[in-house]
Parts: sequence; C-alpha cells; structure tokens
Amino acid sequence: MSQIETFYEVMRKQGITRRSFMKYCSLTAAALGLGPAFVPRIAKAMEEMPRTPVIWVHGLECTCCSESFIRSAHPLAGDVVLSMISLDYDDTLMAAAGHQAEAAMRDTIERYRGNYILAVEGNPPLNEDGMYCIVGGKPFVDQLREAAEHAKAIISWGACASYGCVQAAHPNPTRATPVHQVITDKPIIRVPGCPPIAEVMTGVITYMLTFDRLPELDRQGRPAMFYGQRIHDKCYRRPHFDAGQFVETWDDENARRGYCLYKMGCKGPTTYNACSTVRWNEGVSFPIQSGHGCIGCSEDGFWDQGSFYDRVTDLTQFGVEANADQIGGIAAGAVAGGIAVHTAISALRTAQKKVQDRPSAAETSKEEA
Amino acid sequence: MTRKLLVGPFNRVEGDLEIRLDIRDDAVASAQVNSPLFRGFEMMLAGKDPRDALTIVPRICGICSISQSAAAALALGQAAGVTPTPQGARATAILHAVENLADHVTHFALFFMPDFARPAYAGRDWHGPAVERFTAMQGSAARQLTEGRAQLLHITGMLAGKWPHTLAIQPGGVTKAPDARDRVRILSTLRSFRRTLEATIFGAKLEDYAALTTLSDLYGWTTGDAALFLRIAADLGLAASGQGPRRYLSAGAYPQGAQRLTRAGLLDHGTLKPFDPTQITEDLSHAWMLGETAHPAQGQTVPDEDMRADAYSWCKAPRLGGQVVECGALARQAVDGHPLALALADEGGVRARVAARLLEIARTQIWLEEAAQALDPSAIFLEPFTLPKSGQGVGLVEAARGTLGHWLRIEKGRIASYQIVAPTTWNFSPRDAQGLPGALEAALVGAPVAEGEETPLSVQHIVRSFDPCMVCTVH
Repeated sequence: MSQIETFYEVMRKQGITRRSFMKYCSLTAAALGLGPAFVPRIAKAMEEMPRTPVIWVHGLECTCCSESFIRSAHPLAGDVVLSMISLDYDDTLMAAAGHQAEAAMRDTIERYRGNYILAVEGNPPLNEDGMYCIVGGKPFVDQLREAAEHAKAIISWGACASYGCVQAAHPNPTRATPVHQVITDKPIIRVPGCPPIAEVMTGVITYMLTFDRLPELDRQGRPAMFYGQRIHDKCYRRPHFDAGQFVETWDDENARRGYCLYKMGCKGPTTYNACSTVRWNEGVSFPIQSGHGCIGCSEDGFWDQGSFYDRVTDLTQFGVEANADQIGGIAAGAVAGGIAVHTAISALRTAQKKVQDRPSAAETSKEEA
Repeated sequence: MTRKLLVGPFNRVEGDLEIRLDIRDDAVASAQVNSPLFRGFEMMLAGKDPRDALTIVPRICGICSISQSAAAALALGQAAGVTPTPQGARATAILHAVENLADHVTHFALFFMPDFARPAYAGRDWHGPAVERFTAMQGSAARQLTEGRAQLLHITGMLAGKWPHTLAIQPGGVTKAPDARDRVRILSTLRSFRRTLEATIFGAKLEDYAALTTLSDLYGWTTGDAALFLRIAADLGLAASGQGPRRYLSAGAYPQGAQRLTRAGLLDHGTLKPFDPTQITEDLSHAWMLGETAHPAQGQTVPDEDMRADAYSWCKAPRLGGQVVECGALARQAVDGHPLALALADEGGVRARVAARLLEIARTQIWLEEAAQALDPSAIFLEPFTLPKSGQGVGLVEAARGTLGHWLRIEKGRIASYQIVAPTTWNFSPRDAQGLPGALEAALVGAPVAEGEETPLSVQHIVRSFDPCMVCTVH
C-alpha cells in the first residue's frame, strides 16, 4: 500500500490550504463527539495514513443518498467527496463509462484487495434472478457480491441498503432486500435514513478512514454517535409535548405557534436519528421545523406501518419514556456504553470482532440499567 | 460493414441505462434503449392511504423528489377539490424551481461537460480549458457549482425542512409558513447563487443571456462556461447531432391558481397547439409489461416476469395522440415562446438542448428572485383538505427533465390506482406497436461511431443532452 498517497497529499493536490485542512479536522472531531484533544490525532492520521480506497455502488435506489452526500456542511464538503475519500469507483459521478467503468471497478478490487471500503447505495432485488436491476448486463446482486468479496468493510447507506425502504413496501414487487441479508460475512455498518444526513455520512466515513475501524454501533448496526437519541429527545418542540400543547390541524393557530406535531402523526418519539441536533441542508432545518411530523425514516419498516399520518398509538403520554424505549429498543442499551474513543489505530478486523461482541455487552448494561 | 454494440452502464446519468446499437458504415443505424431498473412503485401505492403518496412518491427519485411531491399534491388536491392558497402555491413553486435550477446546474457541470475533458479530445484547442473546468470530480467548475448548489438548497431547508424527500408540500399549500427572517435569508441565498452563476456559467449578467433572441446572438456569446460549451459545440458539430422529433411538450411549469408560470402546449414543427392530456396513451408492445395500450387513468402495471423476447425494456412507451414527443427545458422554453428557444427548437439537437437549459437557468433564477420578494409571511400558506372516499385526480407538473404526470384513483378511502408518466419515460421510451422508436432511439440514428470505438463519444453526448433520469423513467 506504500505507493498510495495519504489523505493529506490528496487534499493538498486539490489546492486545499493547511488552514482549512485543520478546520476540517476540528469540525470532524466535533461532529464525532470527540474533544479538541483529538484534532491533532485526526490531522496526524490524515497526514500519515494512506487514503482508503472506496468503491461506491448503486443498486435499486433513487440516488438520494449521493444527493445528500454532495451537500455536506463542511467547508470542504465538496472536497471530501471529490478528492479526499477518493471514490475509486462511483457510477454516478465518475468520468469513465461503459466497459471502462466496469474495468475500473475490477481494477480497484484487484489493486486494493482486502483494503477497500465498499459503500452500497440502494439494495439488490432478488425476484426473477435479480433481473429488475441490471448493471453492465448482470444483475446488481452479482456486482454487489463481487465487490463485497474482497472489501474490508461495507457501509450500507440509507434506508434502502439498511432495511429495504419504500421499494420493499408491500407487496415488494421486486423482492428488494437489504444488503446484510445478502452479504453475511463482512462487517457492515448501517447508516439509515431516507436519505441519511450529509454530516452523518461524512462523519461516519471520516471516522472509519481516520481510525481504520468501525465506530461504535448500536444493536441495529447503526453508529451510536448519530443514532443514539430519539428525534423527540432533542426536539425543540419537546416543551410543547410535555405541556400538552399540540397542533390539531394543518396551519391552525397552534401550528403557527410551533406546538408539538405528535397528533399529526409525528414519529419523533420512536425514531433514533440526529435530525433534531445536526439538522438538514447544512444545519438549516429539519422536517419538524417545517411544520411536518417526522416519518421515522431511519427505523426499520417505517414504510409499512399504516399511514404516515397515523398517530403513534402505543405511546401514552405519561408512560412515554418506558414505552418508546421498548419500541426503538435496543439502541438505548448500546448507547449506555457511551461513545468509545479508541486510543490505538487498529485494524478493522479487530473492530469487527469487538462489534460482534457488542450485543452481549449491551445486554449487560441494559440489565444493569 | 455492420456491427452491434451494447453501450452501458452509463455513469453520470441518474440511474441505470443500457443501449443496444446497430452500426453500419461507421454510424448508428438503429438503437434500442433499455431501462434496466424496475421497482414497482405503482404496485406498492395500491391499497395505501392516499395521503401516503406524499411520502412515497418523492422516493421514486432523490434528484427530482420535489417534482414528484408537487405532482402528487396536485393529484390529491384535485381529488379533494382543494387548491393551494396563493402564497402556498408560491412557496411550492419556489421550492420546485429551486430544485429544477439545482438539477440543471448539476447536469451541466457534473454530468454533461465532463465528457469533453476525456483524453480522446486531447489536441482540440478547447481541451485544456475543458480539463481545467470539468474533469469529473476534480474540475474547478465542478467544485464551485457543487458548493453553490448546496447553498442554494438551503432554501429547501428553510421552506420545507429537508431535501431530498421533502414532506412540506401538501394539496392545500405548504406546512411551513415562512417568517420575515426566512424571507430575508432566501433572498440573500438567491443573491449569492446569482453571483456564482454570473461568475461561472455565464461570465456576464443573467439578463444578458435571457435577452438573446437569435442563433446569431448565441454565436456571439463570448463569456463563461457557456462560451466554452458553444465553442466545443461548433467544433464537434453538436447542433446537427441528436435530432429530436421536433414535437415539444410542456404541461406548463409552476401552477399559480388557474395560471401557470410558463405556457402549456405542444409545439409541433413550429406550430403551437393546445396540450390535451386525454390524448396520452402508454403502449406496452416493447415493454416487459402485461396489458393493453391505455390512457394512464386506466393503465396498470403488471411486470412480465418471463421478460418476453420481443420486448427489451421495463419502460412503457407513452405517446401523445399516437406520436412521439420530446420534453425538457428546450420544450418548456420553446412552448413558452421565448424567441431564442424557438430558434433552438428548430435546430433540435444536442446543442439546442444544452443551450436552452442554460437559458432556463437564467430565467428561473430571475423569476425566483421576484417570487421570493413577493412572499408574504402574514398570509395563509395551507388550506386544510379532506379526501373523498372515492374520487380521481391528475397532477401534471414540469420537472427539470420535462413533463411529469400522476393519475390517481381513490376507492373506499384507499388508493385503487396510481399511474406515473415521467419525463424520461417520454424521452427514452422503447418502440410502440407501430414500430415508432422513442425520441432518444430516433435521435441516436446517424451518430458517428469510429472504428474500434466501444463507448462512442457521440452517443454519450446525445444521451446526456436529454439529461435522463432513469430511476423516474420506470419507477
């Protein structure tokens, strides 16, 4: 791997100044919930470590994840995509076409065998031998298996890759299937949401590149640092929920006053995501701030739970804490362990083992709680 | 001499695409366009609460999701007998126009222009600037415009919470009533985007480009990336390449009450005719779909799991009065009667599509500034609505890539039928029962293919000039 340049070299080639590089490092540390002490570590890692090759493939999907990604808030956002992580193969943005593109992917797999990260956007449809999604004349599921075989880890971007998303809605005509049900022998990190928030995507990928390991995951395989709290926990309308002040119809007086959207079907109380803290479109807003309830797009099965405008019925106002924790579950247990900050840069394989051990640790802490 | 060529996958297009070419004497003799991705949204919508369409249909496409939202809101509104309040319609139109503008800019900088930075063009006198500005993922224009576009999309954040997959657009308007502060921020965001456009694509005032009226005016344009494109187009003969059917369709962009901001119509070889949506049919003869040719209100989606041999795409073939039409920015601007766009519509090739898209970028930005100025935070932005137990609705809008229609039928309070015809369904349709090729299939005929060329450059330019959105095409 010695012939591969470092992240910093790649960034410098793109004309990025030292100053904005350091700013990027500190913003990344903040986004990851790491203290200022970690800024020099991130910087050092980027200066010294060879960049990690990334293969980014698209299955059955709508490309909203890529769309979200290229609008991240870092001042270097464009550059994170356009240079730093170096998408060695990405079929939406890359220059080559056709057979050249296929060759580029095979070449990347060969050159970085066992060392690249596979980012999957969308998922494979399995009905009719996968013929509902054809890439280069072959079912996408074949491309996915081929690219996964020598990957050191897989990122499942978005609700499609993580859970299936709306294209898996009843009757799931194409049998759209999440990645982890097809690839079972690799560490997989799920970054759900439809799409995921850009800063969450860059945060996760930067963490993996910097520390060469998976971040701490909850039991659904989501990075705990971003999916550790419910939308409801940090919602700026939460005081109105607690005070029993609700929007009753669209654009009523209460809507203008910014009351709670729970009665309009908001799924914030059962949804684990960072929307109410990180927000969207470079921190500008998020759905609840626009007067529409959360639809719970980072939770498994959100697309087939009755109407998006149905109230969360098994949520009683006074029992909310206990009940919602039961629903969304499991994540709370893993979070109890806190965000682990690792002092040594270790190989992802070690990380994988730790992740596999994690559920039992989570169980323990849950029992203690 | 003849040979066959299978071109695909195409990158820098939204979604998957494969094209089968018959090549005779170093040119394309015939083409078959295959949309190899099928998800079955129309099947999933059946049986759902009609309001859920507002959450599900945007997820057909992460690039034109507001267009899908807007069409669904119109169709539901028609079924419920409700129209948006004037300010609600204005906010919806601003959201939609911002998305269309962002899409056009993405297309130009990230999808279309990078082809001219290919090594195959080394030696052309414009190759240096093309490489510097548009090399995929590295060019200086790509960086400037990706960043400018991200900032522009703050407006969708302010007005609708998040993008892509906005939830705020409803049949009666929008859930978010912008306050005075939002309005000021929207205006300043637009000002900054104007500066980006004027410093990059146009190199001059937007009004100057929007005021061009003739092709010779256009030849005289000397500034910005637009001039670079025109120089390349002249050198490579892009005006003549990729000729469309010269029948241009627009449903009229941005409904404001009974009016639309741009005119609806069918411009048939220079003659403007009214657009009659009842004349639309979807032909299934070359699609892996079962059933008869039907109007979308009666249409159904039953995939042919045997993938029969005489079909070659998941895409149905929409026709208007039995004829092939082209839609998109060129069609919209020409139907609206802009003199330069009318001249370009007559030219009808790759250059016309791209130059008209730039025209639409300029005009949309100018309109957005006026519309944001006229936002009134004290007004009502949302009309409540009640859906009937049974009813029908149609939502026709103009997405960045052309005419998008949703046909909805409600029975027993549930969706009984939902049919969607998307812009690229029109442009990239397969052949119909009469054997008439779709707009792209016909446009590819005659494209030069050099000996030994496996991914012909001419084909790449023609395909991308339509700005296809393949995930919408079949959905």
